[in-house]
Amino acid sequence: MNNCTGAPAEKFAMDYLEGTLPEDEAEGFENHYFDCPVCLAQVQMLQSVGEELGRRPAALPTPATRRVLAWPARIWALGALAALLVVSVAGYRIFESGRTRPGFATTAQEPLKLNLPPQTEPEKPQEAGATPPAHAQVTASQLADLALPAFVAPNLRGSSEDARFLEGMKAYSSGDCAGAVTALAAVPAAGAQARAARFYSGACQMHLGNLAAATANLRTVAEAGDSPEQEAALYYLAQTALLGNDVPHARIWLRQTVELHGDFERRAKAALARIGALGVPK
Amino acid sequence: MGSSIVREFFAACFDGDGSPKMSGEHQEQDLLLAEEAAAENTRLVLAIGNGDQGAEREFALRFLPRLRAMLLARTRNATVAADLVQDAMIEALCALRRGQLREPGKLTAFVLAIARNVLNSHFRTASRQPESLEFPDNLPDLSSIDERMQSEQRESLAARAIESLDPTDKAILQMTLVHGLKPGVIAERLRLNPDVVRQRKLRATRRVMEFVAKASQNALSNHSVAGKKR
Repeated sequence: MNNCTGAPAEKFAMDYLEGTLPEDEAEGFENHYFDCPVCLAQVQMLQSVGEELGRRPAALPTPATRRVLAWPARIWALGALAALLVVSVAGYRIFESGRTRPGFATTAQEPLKLNLPPQTEPEKPQEAGATPPAHAQVTASQLADLALPAFVAPNLRGSSEDARFLEGMKAYSSGDCAGAVTALAAVPAAGAQARAARFYSGACQMHLGNLAAATANLRTVAEAGDSPEQEAALYYLAQTALLGNDVPHARIWLRQTVELHGDFERRAKAALARIGALGVPK
Repeated sequence: MGSSIVREFFAACFDGDGSPKMSGEHQEQDLLLAEEAAAENTRLVLAIGNGDQGAEREFALRFLPRLRAMLLARTRNATVAADLVQDAMIEALCALRRGQLREPGKLTAFVLAIARNVLNSHFRTASRQPESLEFPDNLPDLSSIDERMQSEQRESLAARAIESLDPTDKAILQMTLVHGLKPGVIAERLRLNPDVVRQRKLRATRRVMEFVAKASQNALSNHSVAGKKR
């Protein structure tokens, strides 16, 4: 750790703050930066950047906004506009020529209808009792927050975590959801980490798209009563419901999340507002 | 306090003429710094044992930022970290007043051990019991003006560093530091390759570090200019 101004130290500091550094290395790094102003300044600066980004978050490209802003969508929109322009000019010319040469009018107007892309048709107001438009369902599933809940390893000396739980969470932390589900399934149901194992397993199942398994796991945790995972379980239950386009259940679980007034309250409120904007009947 | 940290930082990173140190010289410098730190620790521990209030304040000023950085990194919760910093500092001061540190040169390891115990207690107990702590008399002011100023400077530096980042790099740093997401998940959200995310994260980290280095150099040159004027 002598080369403190180089990239390895920067990477070391970032891994430490992310909680991905093995415990012995994390302790070693702490022993070091308590006496090393260079590394201390790096750790403090990264923490300040994190706090600043937490206070004034940068605009993240969410799936919803990406559909509007991403270049394929823009090209599609430009294409539609260009087609509309061509059609308008051609229509005008045909109309003008039709006035002088009526014989061309009917034959020239036919392809105009064919050239109109179906997406450019104006939306009709939805009739009462009619099924919601297909795009509303797609948007509901795209609103789901797929970010895996952060797991902060307690990293305590002498802690009594189940080895299978730790193995599962190691896989989870590295983004290996399938591996995490397998390892967490081996955690004894009566063990101290059983509920946490079910929660993270549920989150992984959601991420993998196994919605029924995700709902079963998360529901068990949410319905088991007060626990550190209860609020998060409700929130991710709602996300699982959204993924399955089950907006009514998503609403119920998001409201229950808000009622707990915990860490997920703001996110749940924001999700409810986004669902409200969909216009899906309650 | 502020200028001494800058001096330490500059001495650890650069030669007298401002050029970066080579790795061999770093080793030598590290040894020198370790010897100086051990001597300084011994002086501080003995002074606190003798009831020197100034030494207690010096101790607090030195270890508060370190404890805050460590406990914030471990808890990821600024409020909890602030409470634990106070607890660790009080425990350390009480122990030093009672002369419980046998080897004064190992002050850093002693403070770290106390901080880790405080952290362990926090995680093990559902509700914390601050009343069980024995509060010492004449506790030094733990809300240092110097430290607050440095923290404000760091905040403004962080804001400038963030401004200088590419929007995607900014998003990656935010997802990493604020939301605690792993590169695989970030890659999925931003529709990027996970290796690209790792690369961009490292690039953004380096960019932030450049700001730290530049600010430290500026602070030192301002400090030197002020010294010459006097």
